[in-house]
Amino acid sequence: MNDFLRQFLIESRELVLQATEGLLLLEKSPRDAERLDTVFRAFHTLKGGAGIVEFAMMERALHSAESLLMDARSGKRTLNPALVGDCLTSLDQVSRWLDTLEQTGELPVSVGEPSNAGMAASQDWTIDLLGRHPGATGQAATAFRFTPDSGCFYKGEDPIARVSSLPQLLALEIEPAAPWPPLDEFDPYTCNIVLTGLTAASASEISAQLQSLSGESEVRALKAAEASTTPILIPDIVRKVLQEQLAVLDVKQALGAPARIASAGLTAANAMRFCGLAAHAENLARATQQSLAQNSSSLRDAIAQLLRAQTVAPDPAPAARAPGGSAAPLRTEMSARTLRVNAEQIDALVRLTGELAVAKNAVGHTAKLAQSNGDSIAGLLKDHHGVLTRLISQLQNAVIGMRVLPLRSVFQRFPRVLREMSANLGKPTELIVEGEDTEADKTIVEMLFEPLLHIVRNAVDHGVESAEQRRAQGKPAVATILLRASRAGDQVLIEVSDDGAGIDVERVRKVALDRGVASGEDLKGMADSEVIDLVFAPGFSTALHVTELSGRGVGMDAVRSAVERVGGRVSIASRLNAGTTVSFSLPYSVMMTQVMTVEAGGQMFGIPLDTVVETVSVTKEAFSGVGDARVIVHRNRTIPVIGLEGVLNAAPEKSRTETDATIVIAAVSGQLVGLHVDRPGERMEIILKPLDGLLSGTPGIAGTTVLGDGRVLLVLDVIGMLQ
Amino acid sequence: MTVIASAQGIALEGSCPSEDAEVLLQHLASTPAATIDLGRCESAHTAVIQVLMAFKPKLLKVPRDNSMWRWVHPVLKSED
Repeated sequence: MNDFLRQFLIESRELVLQATEGLLLLEKSPRDAERLDTVFRAFHTLKGGAGIVEFAMMERALHSAESLLMDARSGKRTLNPALVGDCLTSLDQVSRWLDTLEQTGELPVSVGEPSNAGMAASQDWTIDLLGRHPGATGQAATAFRFTPDSGCFYKGEDPIARVSSLPQLLALEIEPAAPWPPLDEFDPYTCNIVLTGLTAASASEISAQLQSLSGESEVRALKAAEASTTPILIPDIVRKVLQEQLAVLDVKQALGAPARIASAGLTAANAMRFCGLAAHAENLARATQQSLAQNSSSLRDAIAQLLRAQTVAPDPAPAARAPGGSAAPLRTEMSARTLRVNAEQIDALVRLTGELAVAKNAVGHTAKLAQSNGDSIAGLLKDHHGVLTRLISQLQNAVIGMRVLPLRSVFQRFPRVLREMSANLGKPTELIVEGEDTEADKTIVEMLFEPLLHIVRNAVDHGVESAEQRRAQGKPAVATILLRASRAGDQVLIEVSDDGAGIDVERVRKVALDRGVASGEDLKGMADSEVIDLVFAPGFSTALHVTELSGRGVGMDAVRSAVERVGGRVSIASRLNAGTTVSFSLPYSVMMTQVMTVEAGGQMFGIPLDTVVETVSVTKEAFSGVGDARVIVHRNRTIPVIGLEGVLNAAPEKSRTETDATIVIAAVSGQLVGLHVDRPGERMEIILKPLDGLLSGTPGIAGTTVLGDGRVLLVLDVIGMLQ
Repeated sequence: MTVIASAQGIALEGSCPSEDAEVLLQHLASTPAATIDLGRCESAHTAVIQVLMAFKPKLLKVPRDNSMWRWVHPVLKSED
């Protein structure tokens, strides 16, 4: 895929989201003229983009939706759910095309699914026609519709014969223009047909042929016309830049002319690249070379032509524009202040920052060595180390900040999802989204959609009662689903709540027993909250029947493991008949990890601090044996203890039970476990490097980092280690 | 005469000019159940095709595939 298409893909995706979001809001408040303007603009820009990359199919699909919205703006149509649905359908189609583009790197050529062209039937006959003749779509250059004059036979015309001999005809449909009259009223000499067809010949050629016949003809070019006639959308600011370059070129002074030409050419080309018009940028670069070589006015002409050819997003209905429609220039300025950077480049920066931190630690180590040797430069080294530490920690924060995305990008997909779910299940629901500006690391934000979708599905499918049941219970008929995000320290909290039926604890007990998730003995000793937590256990699913929405074999256990994989936690709370809340607690950044170092078997290990509950020192009397295992009783809980070096097959275990022991208590999925270590170390913030190559996937090791003295610190994955 | 009515039904032959539309209409009006043989019909005027489209008589023999019938034939197929 070339840069041009890549840019188009990114922008189109954003616009589709923006339009979808706007449409859903419009459905709720159809009188919001400003919102309608925003949605209209999004469609318009999408269409413009499709025109620039010569993606005629997408242009047409959007054109239809755009006309609908235009009618809504001018008041010719009412903005009803059907209209919104039609526009959403066309956006769906566009999304599918964008998917194809992303996967194949090429613009899709076949319409494929004609039924999905949505409003095509009523709005745009060309889309429908292409849909019925998928085989012809690739070659078709022109679509035509010809309605011969009813009296054309008297002029000696034979429309079918003429039209069926049109050059490079790919498809032809013959239909009655009006329903056929009964036999006794039938006049064979009144022409009553419509001819619709596709051809690979040019629109101008077909037009010329049809014009020689009497009747009404409509001819549409399916492939965008040549670049010179395609409207180019140039933001105002770029337009000004181009005008400046003209002024520079107009300076009548021989001295420094080549420099002026080179500089103006470069600036103009960059300006075109800025608005994603790479092809035009190349044209300008060529013109610059020409101007330099021949001292001609090629560059001046090229820039002037661009300024003439360009149109700044024409507004088709200025009269219907709501006040406050001045958002467009504002947006342009905003986009100039943000840069699109490849995520890989940012990751490279994160890695480098990590290396830098390691180098900094080495300086600290050297300073300590120098001090213990009584070296005179020790103080100086320490000072520099202090400055480095401060700068590098600022750098780390800045770099991590770059990987941060607002949760909006995930949350904004839910209004649409919920709209469909509640329609499918016939359960009216309303979605409330709070804190969508909360930010989290890209990795976290990107992994969130699936788990959240599962929870929301469960909420609508199993949690929310039918409208009748809700009324009978005195609840509002429309159920509420709340999606809320907030930041708490270095954690991001996300809650999905519903005001549905809640979880029936007794049923959970019964199901858990039936499916062997927990034994009767265990269940007796469990508090209600612990029982509810069993829904996350593998093999648990309370759905009475598998519906289309939930029960696709992805259980709540998959949700929990997905969240734990990124170092998060998920919990559930529920009250019968009052609703259920699922809470996610996720790390803000996956790059920085706080670890506690421990020594075991003569080796240093890091334990992620978020799994550590506390460190206790116990005497040998505190140990007792349960079977082969050793346990301690701490705060009235029996905690199994394992020797860390034993688990890791490090040096053979000394008979440490003879002396006092240091136990690090860690929490794993709500269970406490004691890790017997030789010595606790310090707490440090590290950039964790996952294992790669041969070692990748080693169970029990989350990753490594390099310590100041050059040693490698293995960071343990406690959950993986105990499995 | 390119419209030939017989006991077997109606056959169109060669190139049928627009005047044939009237003849064909009368034949179909008198025997609505008549079948049509297009096996030897090279081409037909739009007026003739209109009559066939409007009354959808059963096709006894389909026309050969040429630049015109290629597009017209699908329209004449009865729904069943």
